[in-house]
Amino acid sequence: MTWQTFAFLAVAGTALTISGKRFMVLYKLLKAQTGKAPEVKEIGRRIQTTIVNVLGQKAVLKDRWIGIAHTAIFWGFLVISFGTVEQFLMTLYSGASFEFIGRGPYSLFIFSQDFFTLFVLIGVLFAAYRRLVLRPKNLGQSSDANNVLLFTGGLMVSIFLMNGFHILASSPEYSESFFVSKHISSALSEFGFEHETAEGLFTFFKWVHMCLVLGFAVYIPGSKHLHIVAAGPNTFLRKLDREKGMTPINFEDETVTQYGVANVSQMSWKDALDLYSCTECGRCQALCPAWNTQKPLSPKNLIVDLKKNLHANKAAILEGKAESITHVIDEHVTEDVIWACTSCRACEIACPVFIEHTDKIYDVRRNLVMMESRFPAEVQAVFKNMETNGTPWAFSPSERANWAEGLNIKTMAEAGTAADLDVLLWVGCAGAYDDRNKSVVKSFVSLLNKAGVKFAILGTEETCTGDAARRIGNEYLFQTLAKTNVETLNRYSVKKIVTACPHCFNTLKNEYKDMGGDYEVYHHSQFIAHLLSAGKLKPNKAMDETITFHDSCYLGRWNNVYEQPRAVLSSIPKVNLVEMKQHHDQGLCCGAGGGRMWMEEHHGARINVTRTEQAIETKAKTVASSCPFCLTMITDGVKTKDMTDQIQVKDIAELLDSTT
Amino acid sequence: MNLYVCIKQVPDTETKIKLNADSSGIDSAGIKWIMSSYDEYGVEEALRIKEKTPGATVTAISAGPDRVVETLRTALAMGADNAIHVELPETADSAMTAKAIAMTLKKEPKVDLVFFGKEALDDGAAQVPQLVAAHLGIPSVTVVCGVEYSGTTMKCKREIEGGSFEMVEITAPAVVAGSKGLNDPRYATLPNIMKAKKKEVKAVKLAEIGVSSADQKVRMKNLQLPAAKQAGKKIEGDAGAQAHALAAALHNEAKVV
Repeated sequence: MTWQTFAFLAVAGTALTISGKRFMVLYKLLKAQTGKAPEVKEIGRRIQTTIVNVLGQKAVLKDRWIGIAHTAIFWGFLVISFGTVEQFLMTLYSGASFEFIGRGPYSLFIFSQDFFTLFVLIGVLFAAYRRLVLRPKNLGQSSDANNVLLFTGGLMVSIFLMNGFHILASSPEYSESFFVSKHISSALSEFGFEHETAEGLFTFFKWVHMCLVLGFAVYIPGSKHLHIVAAGPNTFLRKLDREKGMTPINFEDETVTQYGVANVSQMSWKDALDLYSCTECGRCQALCPAWNTQKPLSPKNLIVDLKKNLHANKAAILEGKAESITHVIDEHVTEDVIWACTSCRACEIACPVFIEHTDKIYDVRRNLVMMESRFPAEVQAVFKNMETNGTPWAFSPSERANWAEGLNIKTMAEAGTAADLDVLLWVGCAGAYDDRNKSVVKSFVSLLNKAGVKFAILGTEETCTGDAARRIGNEYLFQTLAKTNVETLNRYSVKKIVTACPHCFNTLKNEYKDMGGDYEVYHHSQFIAHLLSAGKLKPNKAMDETITFHDSCYLGRWNNVYEQPRAVLSSIPKVNLVEMKQHHDQGLCCGAGGGRMWMEEHHGARINVTRTEQAIETKAKTVASSCPFCLTMITDGVKTKDMTDQIQVKDIAELLDSTT
Repeated sequence: MNLYVCIKQVPDTETKIKLNADSSGIDSAGIKWIMSSYDEYGVEEALRIKEKTPGATVTAISAGPDRVVETLRTALAMGADNAIHVELPETADSAMTAKAIAMTLKKEPKVDLVFFGKEALDDGAAQVPQLVAAHLGIPSVTVVCGVEYSGTTMKCKREIEGGSFEMVEITAPAVVAGSKGLNDPRYATLPNIMKAKKKEVKAVKLAEIGVSSADQKVRMKNLQLPAAKQAGKKIEGDAGAQAHALAAALHNEAKVV
């Protein structure tokens, strides 16, 4: 027992008590969340994704240089913690060294400490250079981030100085293993320190290091650096599949009186963990179509602001005073922020810690729409059309099958059962009512006929899938429409469905399961690609021109379908397929998802025009799309750029049908 | 304050109208029914007054066959407190409807304001509000696109011919028939939709209020659908030739000159 033992007990005791209390508040806040969290199943896959993305840093490494720096710091910290534990134990009891593991392993341990300290220091210097000199625009500046860099850098420098003076003062047995520190020691020896001074400085820097570690423990709960605790569990608890349905609300449950999120405590504990996990790296913001066209929404700011809101309401939440918790809509998370989202999920693809930004937005929208009737005025007509006519546009349900007149297409009512059919063609509202998209469906029908596919349509029995209602937040309307469709589809024993609309595709495939409808659903790009590879379609006319393909979010990011539409285009002889600067999972949304198709765009540049400009840059004469909304949006973009006589916008089915 | 709002159930505006077998009315098979959109202004206006007036109640009244109860539920979901269904046959005209509504209102303990839409979306007759006011012996103001309230007095902004407006001041009890511009009708919240499903809708039979088919003044027969719209005709050639062709068409085909 020395003075150091007592001093350490006092300092560490105080620091860990404060830190523990701060972490306990975070835990209690998490526990107090009233929203329903998703069930945690498939533990094996969860362990796997945690190994790959936490230990393996896969998602972090998607951004190469900072990814490497982060990996160095992450692994460095893991290894150095063992040294710190030894240091703490030895301060309490000088005989508690890890030397018992044996001479060889211990010298390797010493070496690893020095090696990773250097590793971390280089990583931190790069991170500081990037943040303070390169200043990537989506990273932003923050004193919190600078503090974290100072803490981390300080920890490493203090280790080197501590070791340097240690070697200088007492030439320990393992001096050679300190392969960096021994050079520091040699450098320090140039100053001619007295033995006792060196000894004293060793103790000093040891305390600097210990105090920094303990100070960091106190600092972390209130900092974005909290991600070192939260991001691991958040990765384990992530949604495992890219394909996801929105969580349904059980309207039968009469104990539920609040739909959606009116205040932050109504999110689920998993949502709160998402907030804790955010390290403000800005990768989400960098890809966000809303942010990149000067809308008020930044997915990063949204998460940071929700976290601030949670902390600001800490007292009310923990005291159970639900009525004094402030509204989730405040001066930062405004209604404009919430309505700007196109639900393209670029933010979620980009996030290295698997935060699900869009779920928070849907939940806030649900409250605004269903509880408070607050939404952009133009949406009301859309809801009413869906309610009375089963389509977002003002058309009569009796005219739904008019497009098919004279095409000799069977309806399910005529076919009776799906048993004798290869597939049901789901037309969708755009295909049924929008003139431009009617011709897409007709082209697809022509391809189905050329390939000898036996299919039928629901005709006037089809109604809107409800995708837009659901994304806008009207879960009740969505479920009404979904139940009607599921009832119809099940009545005809439909098993296999194909549709040219990615929104219908996603809803039928991933969301109707929760409504009692389990179907094998294909997007027409998948279906056509299959017909091509089976030799049932043989494009024989050349199209000697450059085509660029625009990825639909609901096909790509929502369902991982990137290659089939490209395969369809590449099957046309002589086609030169080129990519825009943003493509595949980095593709820029057309601006119409998430119900934005029916909302005015009040802020900044138009998303569809921005995307069209990217298409124009490729010099392609044809922009190919595989979604009715994208088709409309990009066509409008080309009109805005006054280039309709130079660029045509076509669906993949139209292009293939004209060459087959 | 007792506020009443009279609503009519009409076919959705996208409906393709077909006539019934004896051409005395429309074929109601497959029709999606909605609240006449002008009546929504009335409901909204009544609800806004209620929200500013402690103790005020809003009662929705609809006269028609059983299916109009669904539309009454829409008004309840928007926020009306009570609903009355006056059981009127489908064929009733404006006179019979107005008398039935007026007699129902007379049975109410106290009536302060009665809101309507300026006209129904289906027949566009624009009769019932004024007729009800006459039956009740209270003033009415129609085509109202704005109201300033001060106590029981209201300054109503009314749209008149030629794109002009006039201001009419009236005192409750009165009938107000709303028009576009009066307000933006709300979209019902889900808790209110749920509550509306459980609320009672009071049924009133014609015999109870002394109304009979003798009150019907107009009977429909031999209705016809308008002729299908002809495609436009493009007149080409130079200005002289175009003028000749146009004059010939106006004289020979349209027979207006």
